[in-house]
Amino acid sequence: MLELFSYPFMQRALLSGILISLILGWLGTFIVSRKMSFIGDGIAHASLGGIALAVLVGIAPLPTALIFGILLACILFTIEQKTNIGTDSAIGIIFTSSLALGIMLISLHQGYQPELISYLFGNILAISTHDLVITLVISTIALIALSIWNNKLIFITFDKDGAYLSGISPARYDLALYILTALSIILSVKLVGVILVSALLITPSATAKLIAPSFAAFQKIAITLACMTTCIGLLMSYYLDLPSGAAIILTGSFIFTLTLLGKKMKMIYDKQS
Amino acid sequence: MQKKISIKPYIEIKDVTHRYGTITVLDQISCTIEKGSLTAILGPNGSGKTTLVRAIMGLLTPDKGTITINGKNPKEMRTNIGYVPQQLQFDRTLPITVKEFLEVYTCTNTHHQHKDSTHILAEVGLTEHIHQKIGTLSGGQFQRALIARALLHKKDILILDEPSAAIDAEGEETLYQMIEKLNREHGITCILISHDITMVHRFADSVLCLNKEKICQGTPSDTITPDVLKKLYGSEMGMYHHHH
Repeated sequence: MLELFSYPFMQRALLSGILISLILGWLGTFIVSRKMSFIGDGIAHASLGGIALAVLVGIAPLPTALIFGILLACILFTIEQKTNIGTDSAIGIIFTSSLALGIMLISLHQGYQPELISYLFGNILAISTHDLVITLVISTIALIALSIWNNKLIFITFDKDGAYLSGISPARYDLALYILTALSIILSVKLVGVILVSALLITPSATAKLIAPSFAAFQKIAITLACMTTCIGLLMSYYLDLPSGAAIILTGSFIFTLTLLGKKMKMIYDKQS
Repeated sequence: MQKKISIKPYIEIKDVTHRYGTITVLDQISCTIEKGSLTAILGPNGSGKTTLVRAIMGLLTPDKGTITINGKNPKEMRTNIGYVPQQLQFDRTLPITVKEFLEVYTCTNTHHQHKDSTHILAEVGLTEHIHQKIGTLSGGQFQRALIARALLHKKDILILDEPSAAIDAEGEETLYQMIEKLNREHGITCILISHDITMVHRFADSVLCLNKEKICQGTPSDTITPDVLKKLYGSEMGMYHHHH
């Protein structure tokens, strides 16, 4: 079994997967708490616009998609702040437009596009050293930012007015949360795929919420589950020759189902005894 | 204990008008609130009470008019204000404990010295619930947790929006006594939105009657009259008579 760790592509996939899971698990606790699960899907689908543009023009897809993601997060934030459209509608409009742009650009590109297929479904062979370096740098920045801002983000999540009255500027942290979410979702697109990536943001937190006795435990469990899910999924992908995205997400869904059933059984047992 | 109320207006509201779309919710409101007073705002639903306190906190900028606190813009003074909202909109199934709910406030607030959260929880009678999840508290317990959080720092102003809405009669009495104690012993200027005329009569020293426009302001005995209540709540409430 240990031989698989000697393959450079597997080392890159695992390291990249763990880094991404740390941020997505953490961010997921805020996204689930704010009932904004739709944002993950939206950003992931929208990133296809940036990726398709990069493939068509012949420039590096990941940096292009990251810049594209930051831009979309800023547009979403501006619409949310300046209009009465509402977050869900704003996400729906902006991100489907970007996805449509991506599909149009892809249709202009002649022939089979293996790179675009790996962006859609995830591929552990697709993580290059260059991608890993970008992931490492952005993950480190995101983890430092989350460590510093964690309490403020929790405060704003539960009570925006209270946070404002204690001297915090909630809008600034909302924007930071959107940008961090956009960056981490796009970083994980190569590993998990555009279609499935949002589940890695949501499922570990939704599972942790079922069993956590406190918010601190909620965050720790969500991060641990995200890392576990990614590692188990990647190993399954390698041994069973499955698409990495599907293997990771199904692992997460399996853990969620087991946890939910376990919780229900415990409740029945507690009632009877 | 004899309460000291400054003669100089602490909060000054001048000609404040605010609209939501075409609906006017505050119409040329002018009034003052003295430092160290316990002011109740009375008025029916939709009379602009919450809009006015949100403007006082700087959470909303009125379309017209000005509000100053100690001569300054409300936004500059916001860290001196403690706020107990009518309810907090968040998912009650989320796992956050009472202790975390308070600590997240002390960790983020760098403007004031923090009081000991266990001491404050004892003061509001929530010590045994410290490790309980917020979502599992009763309405009254949750309201007390919100007050505890507002008290973690020495605030000059405490604004409470219908604090007794989710509390039973016994809890309501305790709550009003607690507000009175904060006002009298700690000198905190309290602004209280309430529908409970009996409690307002007992505890407030100033009443602002609001129904989009200012109906009147003064002591409870002067303002809570059948005529004023009729203007505020309609004919049935106009028959109300307060017994001391």
